[in-house]
Amino acid sequence: MKKRCGVFILFLLIPAVTLGGTLLFPARQYAWISLCVALLSCLPFFLTFERGEGAPARLILLSSLTALSVLGRIVFTPLPGFKPVTATVVLVALTFGGEAGFLTGSLSALISNFWFGQGPWTPFQMFSWGMVGWLAGRLSFPLKKSRILLSLYGAFAGVLYSAVMDVWTVLWADGAFNLSRYGAALLSALSFTALYAVSNVIFLLALGKPVGGILERVKVKCGL
Amino acid sequence: MRGNAGRENAFSRLHPAVLMTFFLSELLLTVFLPHPVLQAEALVGGLLFCLLLWGGEFLRELGFYLPLFVLVALTNPLFSHNGVTPLFFLNGNPVTWEALLYGIFLAVSVTGVLFWCKAYSRVMTSDKFLYLFGKVAPRLSLVLSVALRFLPAYLAQSKRVERAQKGVGLYAGESFTDRIKNRLRVFVAMVSWSTENAMEVSASMKGRGYGKKGRTNFSLFKFTSADGVFLALILSLTALTLCGAAAGMKNFAFYPRVSRVELSPVSFAACLSFGLQSLLPALWEGKERILWKYYVSKI
Repeated sequence: MKKRCGVFILFLLIPAVTLGGTLLFPARQYAWISLCVALLSCLPFFLTFERGEGAPARLILLSSLTALSVLGRIVFTPLPGFKPVTATVVLVALTFGGEAGFLTGSLSALISNFWFGQGPWTPFQMFSWGMVGWLAGRLSFPLKKSRILLSLYGAFAGVLYSAVMDVWTVLWADGAFNLSRYGAALLSALSFTALYAVSNVIFLLALGKPVGGILERVKVKCGL
Repeated sequence: MRGNAGRENAFSRLHPAVLMTFFLSELLLTVFLPHPVLQAEALVGGLLFCLLLWGGEFLRELGFYLPLFVLVALTNPLFSHNGVTPLFFLNGNPVTWEALLYGIFLAVSVTGVLFWCKAYSRVMTSDKFLYLFGKVAPRLSLVLSVALRFLPAYLAQSKRVERAQKGVGLYAGESFTDRIKNRLRVFVAMVSWSTENAMEVSASMKGRGYGKKGRTNFSLFKFTSADGVFLALILSLTALTLCGAAAGMKNFAFYPRVSRVELSPVSFAACLSFGLQSLLPALWEGKERILWKYYVSKI
């Protein structure tokens, strides 16, 4: 049942929204259609989580880790662009799997935006951070083995985040996707993209050993 | 009570389900009915309500929204050259009247949605959100609510850790790398403290029978007759707008030529009902304030 629901959303609802949206709305409200798609793509993960098994210890640990990554975003506010959120999400995913990674990432975006401001960009942030976590969980075997691969993944996650958010910027300001404007947005955000990538690598290298160790220890200690 | 900075407002005392219905309806209609009159109504309604919620503080924030408005309005004609009425040529590209109007339309719609989002985050606090979704998704809302409770506790604890580290001589210098190193030290300490803390919390929950059958919930939200009136109003206005939009409103186009706003009775009714809906929060808030002033004056 839970599998079928996720498949239904991914393969029926999202194409239906995309198609219906483009056909129904003459003014081409791409921004809103993509917003709905971003929201819908988060749903299968939440549904699987809701239906899954799990001791309260796992739930509380997940909320604690989510609060922790939000804390990272708040504590590092004076240093713009330098945020340990992605690194925390990736490390959580390496230890507790992709589902936990997605949840920590997307809920961190949702909760931290209670501080930094909710808006139509929230679902996009939820999706991109969630995806960064989920992918890390999928790739956990090679990523755990090699620090070089882990750094590469951190840089990739920074670029991915920036690229996804720029799609949103263009759609939001234009109402339609304009390739030259997307290029302009990417170019003007280049310094930020580089900062994201570099800071992710730094945080992953600095936090990988200590935080990864702490999480592994908790996992063994509580038998999760 | 009324004079305080952190005061509650009349609108946010409505039942969470009513508030959620209102915001969903208002935002979805604004977003999916691309008609200039409706967008303008949403903008005016949102602006008035935000003014009532924040007062002078919001006026100062307009210094941020106004440049945003102008930026969105002016960038469209610079990038899009559709339309049949060129105003002037820039680098050989026509800047058209239609593209300029469409830019202004986009700006109205963008700022309108931002105003309503701002009002949403003030009115729909996280406890109301959790009250609504606690029954639909209990595990997810447990994680959310616990995380929301942990966050202030962790902020306080991280300050304590920082002070303790200063106490043992781990000062942060002025340089960028020093500041990062210092924060990272605090962060790693917080990771081990918080995971231990989480384990204790979960053990305590298990001890108190979390997840056992027959447990009930308690909340302070009551559905009053005022909520009923408000909900009925919202639903009928939304239905009227939707019917009007489906039956009579022609699609408003900006390219190649700007369409005219039609004056058929159906589209007039849709504009009227959506305008009323957008003004509802401001009217409700205003009514309660006038009543309050009146009662105070009688004391």
